[in-house]
Amino acid sequence: MGMTSALAAAVSTGRQVFPSPCHSVMVMDLDEPLDTAAAEKGEAALRRLSEADPALFLSPSADLAAAARAASQHIYSSLAPLSLAQPPPLPTLLTDPAFDAEQIWSQIELLARPLLPHLRRQLRRLEQQPPSQQPPVATPAVAEGELLEEDGESSESEELKNEEELEGTEDEKESEGTQDEEEMGDEEEEEAELDGRGGNGVEDKFLKIDELTEFLEKGEEEEYGGGAKRREKKAAKNWMVESDGEDDDEDEDEDQLDLEDFEDDDEEGEAGGGDIRYKDFFEKGHHKQVKKRDGSIKKVQFKDDQAHESELDDSENDDGNDEQEQGLSTHEKERLKMRAKIEQMEKASLEPSTWTMQGEVTASKRPKNSALEVDLDFEHNVRPAPVITEEVTASLEEMIKKRIAESHFDDVEKPTMLPSKAPKEHKELDETKSKRGLAELYEDDYAQKAGIAPAPLSISDELKKEANTLFKRICLKLDALSHFHFAPKPVIEDMSVQANVPALAMEEIAPVAVSDAAMLAPEEIFEGKGDVKEEGELTQAERKRRRANKKRRYAASHKERPAKLQKD
Amino acid sequence: MLRRNIRQRREYLYTKSLEGPQRALFEKKRRIRAALEEGKPIPTELRNEEHDLRRQIDLEDQERQVPKSIVDNEYATANIREPKILLTTSRNPSAPLTQFVKELKVVFPNSQRMNRGGQVISEIVESCRSHDITDLILVHEHRGQPDGLIVSHLPHGPTAYFGLLNVVTRHDIKDRKAMGKMSEAYPHLILDNFSTQIGERTATILKHLFPVPKPDSKRIITFANRDDYISFRHHVYEKPGGPKSIDLKEVGPRFELRLYQIKLGTVEQNEAQSEFVLRPYINTAKKQKTLGA
Repeated sequence: MGMTSALAAAVSTGRQVFPSPCHSVMVMDLDEPLDTAAAEKGEAALRRLSEADPALFLSPSADLAAAARAASQHIYSSLAPLSLAQPPPLPTLLTDPAFDAEQIWSQIELLARPLLPHLRRQLRRLEQQPPSQQPPVATPAVAEGELLEEDGESSESEELKNEEELEGTEDEKESEGTQDEEEMGDEEEEEAELDGRGGNGVEDKFLKIDELTEFLEKGEEEEYGGGAKRREKKAAKNWMVESDGEDDDEDEDEDQLDLEDFEDDDEEGEAGGGDIRYKDFFEKGHHKQVKKRDGSIKKVQFKDDQAHESELDDSENDDGNDEQEQGLSTHEKERLKMRAKIEQMEKASLEPSTWTMQGEVTASKRPKNSALEVDLDFEHNVRPAPVITEEVTASLEEMIKKRIAESHFDDVEKPTMLPSKAPKEHKELDETKSKRGLAELYEDDYAQKAGIAPAPLSISDELKKEANTLFKRICLKLDALSHFHFAPKPVIEDMSVQANVPALAMEEIAPVAVSDAAMLAPEEIFEGKGDVKEEGELTQAERKRRRANKKRRYAASHKERPAKLQKD
Repeated sequence: MLRRNIRQRREYLYTKSLEGPQRALFEKKRRIRAALEEGKPIPTELRNEEHDLRRQIDLEDQERQVPKSIVDNEYATANIREPKILLTTSRNPSAPLTQFVKELKVVFPNSQRMNRGGQVISEIVESCRSHDITDLILVHEHRGQPDGLIVSHLPHGPTAYFGLLNVVTRHDIKDRKAMGKMSEAYPHLILDNFSTQIGERTATILKHLFPVPKPDSKRIITFANRDDYISFRHHVYEKPGGPKSIDLKEVGPRFELRLYQIKLGTVEQNEAQSEFVLRPYINTAKKQKTLGA
């Protein structure tokens, strides 16, 4: 209620900013008589709405809608001069019947939105400062307020009316209504309401701010020991003690002293959370009497040691007290925690460990079905079996295609057949009649057997014959060259012309092994015996003897034959 | 006949046992020869033996420089005669397994399928020997899925044990009619990525299951080694647009083989020497690549 009155005051003061003969004019506009009429109309509309039966709002009625538009326009114009951005973005609210509910609402929001943070700040300041103190901002308005009061009571009545109207609109807002009504509910009023109740809008069935603060304080208590604010200071002080334990600085002692002073001040009755200020640290000359918690007064001295000692004593005593009161330093707390943890771990290692931590565990040593729950991890020594994916198949097929293209296969090779025996000789049968008679064939056979005539060669092919002879000749030569004990070749008796080559030609520098058996024997060259004489050398008696021998021979050979036919 | 077999087996094992030290000797000779050629000092571990080996090296000719492999003994007649295969299963096979074996019969040319019944393995091997069969293949299963393949080369030859994975049979594929009949020409073979010694050995074992194909055969069987898992694929190809475009059509079952043992005897010889045994439980099992690359 205080807030609404404050706002109303603000509104009223706002109204007085622009002094005019008409008390209700707020907007500095050119058309003054029109505005007056409009304002009256708006107020009439507001009155109408507040008086209307709530049940009427359940069904849409044009009458009420028009009234609502007029009322909202009136309120808008009364609040427009209060907006921070002067001139206001929209001087009047446009409420033609053609305008939609959304459009009217957005116009209101244009004006209202910038005002919200400003109003919030004001409210907070009002909350913080004691009610006796004057709000620092309102001084010019107050003066004008005084001015107004001089004008007359009508303004007050107007104020009251406006308050009522405001409250009426709040009520209307709370009741169910049409869309037009919702817009009409002034946003600032809503905001004022919300801020006035101090966070009540955030609360729920579940969330209570008081419970929240309680809980937070409890948590902090656990962490730091009783009294969050005290603890903060204590923490800060202890921190300073620990860190500067070796340094005996005068300044810091004094700082500590200062903190203590401040602490006591806070204890006395400050509502807010302990704000440490500059002057607490750096302003010397505080000679306030420090009150101990148990109530005794201790005189503060400026001597270093004493002050330090006193400080330390103080802190120790405080610590002792704090333990009792469950307020430990952070170091102490950490130590306690560590100790608790150590105890816990010692206890755990004395107990038998879980079955997963023991070495080889049989089924009887572990609880039933426990191996199913545990995530066992094995190291697998084998590579897993291959999964045949499409890529694998594709790569295999590619390889196969490449091999096919190259015709590179790994088939079994057929071995090359070595001939095991020589090819048979096919005897060709000659169809022609044999030139030699049967008797002659028998004759030849007998001659062969008897050894008179040489054996005929059995090889049919002449080329083969030739090849054979050549080969044999070569073999003979090689044998002669390579063997120590040479065996000459067997005699081939073939009818070849024996060249009566003079012996000189034969006698080359050839190895002895080249036999001269092929050469003609001397008897073959010359047959004869005894003294050989030439024709010219013969005597007459020898000539006659020769002739007689010849005749005798001739007669002997021709005796059997009959005499030749004599020529007739 | 029995005595002959025993003798032959002994011979085979003996020559096989000689192969090891022979190969080591060959290696040493090769290293010495290389060092001599390059003019580098002979490696220190061979200094003692170098003197003895030098004579041998000098007298060696091209033929003797290469060590003789026992494959010549085992697969000596493989080139000349065509392989003859007998396929059979473990006892009481399930229907999917018999289907799979039927498919394998079509894959291997010159093969016969036999019902297992209640025969003992030694009987089977004996009858195979007497019928001049060169290879015996046994297929094992686990709850309908074929999971084991044993390839045994018959006179006394090596036996390779494989595990089967990811088996996809022709019966699984729904529209078999669309696939048409499977060509029964002698196929070309592709053996990819068998680079180590055991890889070469496996390659020869798998290779000699197939006869010598005609050069223009359109059927391709692939054994591709990827990470010690051998992928078996069976394709038929055609070249519709000249030699460069190749149209592959996959036909026949597809599975992965994993070699886990090679024994130097036949299937029935339990005490035969192992040439290779898979050991997956050692710490460095992940790093080992037994078949190649």
